[in-house]
Amino acid sequence: MTNLEKYNEIFAEVFGVPNEVLNDSFGKDTVESWDSVHQLNLVALLEEAFDIMLDPEDIMGLTSYKAGKEILSNQEVEL
Amino acid sequence: MAGVSACVPENVVATEDYSIMTAEEAATFNKTVGIRHRHIAPDSICASDMCQKAAEKLIEELGWERESIDVLIFESVTGDYKTPPTACLLQDRMGLPESTFCLDMPMGCCGCLYAITVGGNLLTTGNVRRALLLIGDTALRMGSMKDKSRVPLFGDCGTAIALEFDEEAPEMVVEFNTFGKGYKALMTPHGGFRHPITPESFIEEDFGNGIVRAPMHTLINGMDVFAFAISKPPKSVDNFMKEENIDRNSDVDYFLIHQANKMIVDRVVKKLKLPTERVPYNLEEYGNLGGASIPSLMVTRLRDQLISGPQRLLMSSFGLGLSWATMSATLGPMVIPELMYISE
Repeated sequence: MTNLEKYNEIFAEVFGVPNEVLNDSFGKDTVESWDSVHQLNLVALLEEAFDIMLDPEDIMGLTSYKAGKEILSNQEVEL
Repeated sequence: MAGVSACVPENVVATEDYSIMTAEEAATFNKTVGIRHRHIAPDSICASDMCQKAAEKLIEELGWERESIDVLIFESVTGDYKTPPTACLLQDRMGLPESTFCLDMPMGCCGCLYAITVGGNLLTTGNVRRALLLIGDTALRMGSMKDKSRVPLFGDCGTAIALEFDEEAPEMVVEFNTFGKGYKALMTPHGGFRHPITPESFIEEDFGNGIVRAPMHTLINGMDVFAFAISKPPKSVDNFMKEENIDRNSDVDYFLIHQANKMIVDRVVKKLKLPTERVPYNLEEYGNLGGASIPSLMVTRLRDQLISGPQRLLMSSFGLGLSWATMSATLGPMVIPELMYISE
């Protein structure tokens, strides 16, 4: 499984959505169910899947599919 | 460390007892946050009362003469008065000599590690030989009883630690960190000299999600605290273990993690890949005890082990400031009286 597939699978699992709906506009402002619990679940699964430790600002900033990709890029995880 | 003791109020409150929570909310809270019960003091009992009771028993079991105690540190954010320092009152109440060096430290959840470090360093000067560290809080009373994000988290407790100069004692290694930029995550907006108490301090505001509080009340910004607690402390512990060449699977008997809440402690344990059988919890029974959390773990979960022989402990605490600390210490055998209870 590629890193992008793992990334998509985590979002699909956390929000219970099919991969097809995931795009750069998928985020806190457009997804009604996006709350702090979902956000923290995302953090937990991303940290485990990519063996990384996010900083507080990354955890707070993980508010969209696009932002998550940028955060992983800063952690030198290539998608 | 010659001994440690702890005292809690007799009064036990279950999550379901809080009228601000529905039965469903209480059940979810118990399952996720993990705090099912907590001991809560009546308004007439202060942190200093619980600490004093714990300390009196400890020095009795140690057989310490009161005249031999050189240092008294009271670590708490819930002292008896704004002034004077509560440690000075305790010097009198406990009948300690006038030569006692007394100090208050309001350092919150990292308070135990701060107190050990300051007290321990005083002992290494050679001028003083015995120190009592009293660590405790009645944190519930600092906030609004209508703040659902805070009320069920805290329990009350007072602890006492006895430190004695010993040239043969194994080294304690500690690392402290501070992220002052994040201070607003845990704070009491009014009541200091930046914002003294005014009539405005009592005006309650409804922040939604069951949070109603006034500026005089202590607040918790849950998301900020969570993001901090699951990121900065585990990274520091990880670096600490690397720098000190500590193998998490073979070199440490127990990992004592500040009992903030189950979600946070579980995340810290998982991120650090700690052996779960060596990570004691007591939050289900006592809640978040602030600075008293780590010494309370020693009394309630590791008493037999620490009485009978040396145990290498790795301790991690995090809280107000924001601050976080990691300490490695080999402790025991030591004196640990049974957990004490206090009532009106």
